[in-house]
Amino acid sequence: MDPSVIGVLGAGTMGAGIAQVAAQAGFETLLYDVSQEFVDKGLSRIRDFLKKSRERGKLTEDEEKKIRARLRGSLNLEEMRSAALVIEAVPEKFELKREIFQKLDTVCAADALLATNTSSLSVTAIGGVTRKPERTLGLHFFNPPPLMALVEVIQAAHTSDEVIQKAVEIVQRLGKTPVVVKDTPGFVVNRIARPFYNEALRILGEGQASMETIDRIMKEAGKFPMGPFELMDLIGNDVNFATTESLYLSLFHDPAFRPSPIQHRMVLAGHLGRKTGKGFYSYDPSTGSGS
Amino acid sequence: MSENSLAIIGKNRLAEELLDLSRAQGFQAALFADSKQDFLKTSLVIETLAGGNEKRELLKELDDRLPPSSVILTSCLGFATTEIASWTRTPERVAGFATFYPVKEKKVIELTGGLRTQGEALERAEGFFHALGKETAKVKDAAGLVFPRVLSLIINQAARTLDEGVASAEEIDIAMRLGTNYPLGPLRWADLIGIDEVLAVLEGLERETGDDRYRPAPVLRKMVQAGWLGEASGRGFYVYK
Repeated sequence: MDPSVIGVLGAGTMGAGIAQVAAQAGFETLLYDVSQEFVDKGLSRIRDFLKKSRERGKLTEDEEKKIRARLRGSLNLEEMRSAALVIEAVPEKFELKREIFQKLDTVCAADALLATNTSSLSVTAIGGVTRKPERTLGLHFFNPPPLMALVEVIQAAHTSDEVIQKAVEIVQRLGKTPVVVKDTPGFVVNRIARPFYNEALRILGEGQASMETIDRIMKEAGKFPMGPFELMDLIGNDVNFATTESLYLSLFHDPAFRPSPIQHRMVLAGHLGRKTGKGFYSYDPSTGSGS
Repeated sequence: MSENSLAIIGKNRLAEELLDLSRAQGFQAALFADSKQDFLKTSLVIETLAGGNEKRELLKELDDRLPPSSVILTSCLGFATTEIASWTRTPERVAGFATFYPVKEKKVIELTGGLRTQGEALERAEGFFHALGKETAKVKDAAGLVFPRVLSLIINQAARTLDEGVASAEEIDIAMRLGTNYPLGPLRWADLIGIDEVLAVLEGLERETGDDRYRPAPVLRKMVQAGWLGEASGRGFYVYK
């Protein structure tokens, strides 16, 4: 095991973003996915980001070259044996994560840290499939990882204090702000932010105010950077609804998390927000800007 | 009776701030802790109690003592305006507003009328806030209107998260600022507003709707009982000097 190596599993938006953060912080970074096509797509996403940063004067050509040299694609989980930390960011399917963690458990060094970037599954359940769950934890990055400063460091039921301490140090080396959180549905941010969306939907549903009025009030009385309906359109109503529904189910129907029928109907209609050109508001599909 | 005179009632940060803001705009404004004093000459009375049983008594007294032409602008944080107006014999002159301290930073103030509120009372309320340099937004009647309602629910969830030992107060506030770009962490925000004001909104919504989603976190009620109301009292989720 090499303390300067970080493995990232899954080359989608989150995985590629996390790999970029690791490489920029000086770690030798392995970006794994199941096909060359996915790996290449992730790597080229990172290269585009770095190129734009250089063009904006935020990176020198030399720095860009070094960061790119620290990034390597991988199609073989066995290569994770050299990593001191593996961060899993594959799709949110428990069976898939189970398979990966069981494999990592046999492949990785005994003192390597195994982390999941899950936002909706139980970190305790994922770690529980390994033989040494005390070295498993959650590292919850925010989208897009290169720009968002926060990482929730999730202590599952089995996770040792020593592993949390090590993870906090690594997150700091990644240039991020770690916040240690116990493994509970939604952790801190997704849980506490729920009413921003759900209560706005409730107020709309009760006919108390229009979405434009609610957005205006939340920005100009509340000083929130975006109104709830603008933000749901940006996040995507499918993603936002799925997060709410998952919290509601894992908290055994706590009414504070009850999903909104209005948002459900929008998901069913395909009115997902900016990405489909229509959500609560209408957008120009080619630019994603509002109309 | 002068159009320019107003009485502000309540012993809280919001009342003190409204006094300063209205005096700065040339209003002849005076602050009263209760309805016992003589403020009969004012054309507008702003009543700032968020909740509590004493609000009902206060409204009854105001209604008895004010001339019929005076408008009562009442804080509707903890009760719908229709209910507040029902405590008086003149519900048509009762208009509601809902905002949290500090008002100075707010560009928009939310106003509402109860079912029996007349347009003139709302116009007077709008005129007052416009004179303070604020915009107004009219929404339908309910406890807490929009911003106080949404923020109180965020704070309630933050209080529950803290109480369950998921993370510390500092960590919760850092996470919400960095993870969602909120202007303040919810617990620090609660301390600034006053825990009693937040509790009043939650209790009002719970009472009005009977929906468990508004049930206040036990820690909020205990803090109010202990007098830990936030920054103004020296202690809330944080300790202040």
